[in-house]
Amino acid sequence: MKLFTAFKLACFGLWSNRYRVLSAMMGVVIGMFAVIVLTAIAIGVKDTLMKQMGSLGAEQILVMPGRVLDTANGQKDLLSGLTSVPSTLTYEDAKAVEDVPDVKTVTPQLETVNFVEYEDKTVQSAIVGTTDQYSRVQHAKLAEGRFFTKEEQLAESKVVVVGNNIHDSLLGKNELPEAEEGSSTNVAEPMSWWKRLLNKILGEKVSAEETSLVGQSITINEESFEVIGVLAPNATLGSSTDNNVVMPIETALATTDMKNLTKMIVEASSLDAVDEVDGAVFNALSANHSEIDFSVVKQDQMLGALGKVTSILQVMLVGITATALLISGTGIMNVMVMSVRERTREIGIRKALGATTIEIMMQFFFETLLLCIIGGAVGIGLGYAFIEVWNGNIEIFALVLPMWAVKLALYTSVAIGSLVGIYPALKAASMKPSKALRFE
Amino acid sequence: MIDLKDVRKHYRSGNLKSEVLRGVNLQVKQGEYVAIMGKSGSGKSTMLNLLGTLDVLDTGEYKLAGKSVHKMSRGKRVRLRNEEIGFVFQHFQLIPNLSVFQNVLLPLTYGRKRLGKKKARVLALLDEMGLLDKKNQKPDRLSGGEKQRVAIARALVNEPGLILADEPTGSLDEETTESILSLFDRVHEQGATIVVITHDQEVAERAGRILRLQNGVLV
Repeated sequence: MKLFTAFKLACFGLWSNRYRVLSAMMGVVIGMFAVIVLTAIAIGVKDTLMKQMGSLGAEQILVMPGRVLDTANGQKDLLSGLTSVPSTLTYEDAKAVEDVPDVKTVTPQLETVNFVEYEDKTVQSAIVGTTDQYSRVQHAKLAEGRFFTKEEQLAESKVVVVGNNIHDSLLGKNELPEAEEGSSTNVAEPMSWWKRLLNKILGEKVSAEETSLVGQSITINEESFEVIGVLAPNATLGSSTDNNVVMPIETALATTDMKNLTKMIVEASSLDAVDEVDGAVFNALSANHSEIDFSVVKQDQMLGALGKVTSILQVMLVGITATALLISGTGIMNVMVMSVRERTREIGIRKALGATTIEIMMQFFFETLLLCIIGGAVGIGLGYAFIEVWNGNIEIFALVLPMWAVKLALYTSVAIGSLVGIYPALKAASMKPSKALRFE
Repeated sequence: MIDLKDVRKHYRSGNLKSEVLRGVNLQVKQGEYVAIMGKSGSGKSTMLNLLGTLDVLDTGEYKLAGKSVHKMSRGKRVRLRNEEIGFVFQHFQLIPNLSVFQNVLLPLTYGRKRLGKKKARVLALLDEMGLLDKKNQKPDRLSGGEKQRVAIARALVNEPGLILADEPTGSLDEETTESILSLFDRVHEQGATIVVITHDQEVAERAGRILRLQNGVLV
């Protein structure tokens, strides 16, 4: 059997029917694109969540308002905490936790939403009151300026560090050219990805007059605050600091009506002490509360719960992609069966001229296989390009494409091609030349 | 070249059995030009399919170039068809998405000859048929006469011992018919054995011997 001849004939057959082949190939292209992109999303989301939760550090313990229930297998059901009562955690609770043995630091956080004014600009922002440890604990890097010190915190200094998005909005950097002149009130929302992409293409509009607020005064709740630093962009899933204005917790308590903590990060003195500190923090807080309306969660518990969530996500994605591939495979088989029918006379001619059953079968089998492999390669290429464009322009989370996903997609396209190619190939090969030649 | 002995063939349609060939005997010598005539439904096409090994006989014997076709496996029949038989059909049976050159090359694609020789052979034949300038054209750009000349070139490309033609001028006008028949004369003069199946008396008269198929028997 001349395999190479059959392969050449298959290539030629595909080229001769290229327009029909293109439409059939779309199924595989979309299927493989889905495999690549959905896998990259699943892995990317998992990595980002794990990184964020992992960024707490193994020695850190999160104290949250609301009661996080335990599941039957002993894991923390993090979602149950979301439906709990409003926060009753206070700065006094944080101070009580500071006295727990083996606690290294406690970083409480107060949060509210308020308007921030600078000259004629007013921007809605999340006001965060916290300690000097915030930037370290939140991994919030500074783009410029500095963070406030312990002394400034205790002295209730009216200093703030602003998030990147707030900084740019107050300076008008986030406004698109067509924004109305008269409008002076902006709502500070993270710029949508397409606007960022557009800005990248057109060149971001940067104010020529002012490029930094450091050293300037802004107004919050009719109180004047000095901007001492700007946080670097930190757009990550759910915990971006881009829209925050961070001030010392003592200042926040004195100048705003914030009283209850949104969370508290407790750092144990060593990894070995985490379990002990976890229990002691719980006991210390329980002494201050009449009921258990807070939760103390260790990093490993959080990672365990997240791992389960992301595993469910991955299983779901596998199901979706398998369905997409099944549909595209069936589509290709139908197209190839139709192709065999349309080319009945051609098959008859080839057989009359000396083509063997195996040669006809191999030609049609290779046609389907090639169609799936080429479609798979195009789908993988498009998926890769999509991931590159996403990662280059969208900061919310990075898509991660592992090599195994590329191999899986390629092997799957070969497997689909092999499976769905058998039936049309057998159908073509089994034709009687005398009948096929008479086919109208 | 051809030796048929008491060949019978029937087709079945549901419960109905239709006996198309009822004991055909035929001997055709090497280099002979034979025409088989008959009315519609007389079994001409079945005869051509059996002679061309496109179908198998029920009973009887068929020897082609000294080889017992009726005893051959399917694979050997395919090889024999490729190497020993050239077909010329009424409706040309060219593959529409292949060029003239590729259509003529097709029997060699499935044969055993070397590529260099294959190309040279195709080009020589196209030159002989006056089609060299059209070698890259698709069949739909050709006239009926040109298409049939391509089909004849394809039938000759493997240098077969037997040319089987099924109503070769059935789709052509009078003038083109004459040029195609002249081509058959030329091929015959070069030593090929030709069997033409036709219902056209004028076409049959170009052959050296005319046979008539009536009710499944040659008379």
